[in-house]
Amino acid sequence: MIKRVLCLLFCLACAGFASDELSVKYPLKPHHEHLALGCADCHENQGDEPSKFKAIGDKGCLSCHKSKKLLAKRLEFMDVLKANPHNSVHDGPTLYCDECHNEHKESTNMCLECHEHEVKEWMGVTP
Amino acid sequence: MSNLSRRNLLKISALAAAATALGANQSDSNAPSWDGEYDVIVIGSGFAAHAAAVKSAMRGLSVLMVEKMGRVGGNSVINGGIFCVPLSPKQKAQGINDSRELFFKDTLKAGRNLNNPALLELIFSRANDALNLTLECGAEYRDFLEQSGGHSVPRGYKTSNGTGAGIIQPMQARFKSLPNTEVKTRTKFDKFITDDSGRVVGVEVRENYRFDNKLFDDDRENKSGDKKLYRAKKGVVLASGGFCADKVYRKLQEPLIPDNAQTTNHSGATAGAMLEAFRIGAYPVHVSHLQFGPWASPDEKGYGLASKFNVTASFRYGISVDKKTSKRYMNEIADRKTRADKMFEIIGKDENYPIHFCDSRPVKHMLKEQFDKLLASGALKRFDTLDALAAEYGLNASTLKQTVAQYNEYVKQGKDPDFGKILPKDGTDISVPPFYAMRGVPKLHHAMGGVAINNKAQVLSSITNEPIAGLYAAGEVTGGTHGASRLGSNAILDCLVCGMVAGENV
Ligand SMILES: Cc1cc2nc3c(=O)[nH]c(=O)nc-3n(C[C@H](O)[C@H](O)[C@H](O)COP(=O)(O)OP(=O)(O)OC[C@H]3O[C@@H](n4cnc5c(N)ncnc54)[C@H](O)[C@@H]3O)c2cc1C
Repeated sequence: MIKRVLCLLFCLACAGFASDELSVKYPLKPHHEHLALGCADCHENQGDEPSKFKAIGDKGCLSCHKSKKLLAKRLEFMDVLKANPHNSVHDGPTLYCDECHNEHKESTNMCLECHEHEVKEWMGVTP
Repeated sequence: MSNLSRRNLLKISALAAAATALGANQSDSNAPSWDGEYDVIVIGSGFAAHAAAVKSAMRGLSVLMVEKMGRVGGNSVINGGIFCVPLSPKQKAQGINDSRELFFKDTLKAGRNLNNPALLELIFSRANDALNLTLECGAEYRDFLEQSGGHSVPRGYKTSNGTGAGIIQPMQARFKSLPNTEVKTRTKFDKFITDDSGRVVGVEVRENYRFDNKLFDDDRENKSGDKKLYRAKKGVVLASGGFCADKVYRKLQEPLIPDNAQTTNHSGATAGAMLEAFRIGAYPVHVSHLQFGPWASPDEKGYGLASKFNVTASFRYGISVDKKTSKRYMNEIADRKTRADKMFEIIGKDENYPIHFCDSRPVKHMLKEQFDKLLASGALKRFDTLDALAAEYGLNASTLKQTVAQYNEYVKQGKDPDFGKILPKDGTDISVPPFYAMRGVPKLHHAMGGVAINNKAQVLSSITNEPIAGLYAAGEVTGGTHGASRLGSNAILDCLVCGMVAGENV
């Protein structure tokens, strides 16, 4: 928590403009916003210029979300239809997180590429 | 010379290759500064790549697999999982009489005799070895043998989860478990690096590459990623798949294909890697033969699940009718080209999609969850009577019933004088309601052409008419094996056999 507060302060102070502007430019997903995450919580040690921040990749996501196997387990109830997006019949728990999930723009659903109609039956909008 | 940039080095090696080809004596070799080295580098991660990678890693070689997409497996991992194995143990157990002659006859007929006989012989003679390689890796198959269109007898092993992932996943696990193996996804192969003699000694790739399916032409427009050079001490296996999703290259072959034409392929099925092989001299074969899969539906994207219904149920045990006449118009299990051409004829300009249907019995051969999903999606519909079916699709009910009665008579007699279809031996006709039906359309499915290889999976050079040293290829990126039109289930056979052979020889 201390780390988070420091990061927030750091972000606000160093980025040189109001957090409102930043959050408009780089909006967070509601569940992350709810946790009051700041830029540097994810973009650790990436300097103080948000426009130069790099995508954090699987390693970044999993630093909180633990492991792909665990995420697959949480959606295990969808295995019945073989439609667990974190453990699909095609890919198992191997896909990159950002194949579907985006933080600062709308997420997508890779299953839709082939399963246009069924996805609606299987799951909600990708968080 | 020591401070030459990498770019210049590449140019020099390309020039050196050309110079050697012209007989000039080029002695000065400039070894690039490699970012890593392996015995074997495999480009792609589908069936062909996995067979090559696993086989060469089993021989104790160090192997790098590079895949441009984030996902492993290309078309192979979304594929229908039907694998043709002529003279297989399951055929023997089920009393199915198959032979070399029959396999050649079926395959050459579909291929319009354009098939390369040496490659056909290769995939026929090594089919069981390829099957065993997958079993050794842990692949599982159902007992029911599929009879895909154009095959005179059932030859199709089907993975137990109903997709090619049933082969790719165990092979990927096996590959990773072998020593000195590595998989790099989001890594795009851009160029071959050749030495003075023209031998392929490595590859230039871009790591952290993000394929962008919003681009019209990813191969040329996408500049993402960080350049790296990897050395391949023994050789490179090109297994980059087909190009049915390449809007630019496919249109060069068939100008009438609209840019928004539907394909069953994954969005990364583009021609760039194959074109790079042409650039260093590989012979092109049959690149303008593009195959349309006749079993898809206009009511869902891609290959979808409708294809499974048609492949396993409606085409084999039911019929397809023209909406305008309520009559059959083709042999529902002819080879793909025959069917796609017939279907396009009746679809015409007014989207007159044909109706494929069967009765209640054949759907039991489908995987239950796939059948349930398809029905729930609405692309497949259930009808208690033929009248209801006719009403839904605007068919003439009495003509439809005559068509069905006539077909049922043919099934009873075991002979289809109209279209020569091989009728179900178990006597399944169209008589036990409910009936299942859907609208059909052929979709761009398979690139028949590609680089020329010999029966050791070596790529043949148009400069020397000899193999290009250090370069092997397998799978859909090669051309010639299937001729003008591939039989269903022969792709897995081809990809696995030639990949395995590349892995044995590299
Ligand atoms: C939906 C569908 C269902 C099918 N069903 C069947 C079936 O049941 N039975 C059958 O026999 N055949 C079937 N086929 C055909 C068969 O699946 C393909 O022909 C086969 O998968 C091709 O395998 P491959 O290894 O050659 O290429 P792929 O599996 O396509 O793999 C090639 C890989 O190379 C990658 N690549 C391309 N360019 C580059 C580059 N420059 N750098 C790095 N990587 C690159 C691609 O992204 C891809 O992942 C089906 C095809 C589709 C599309």
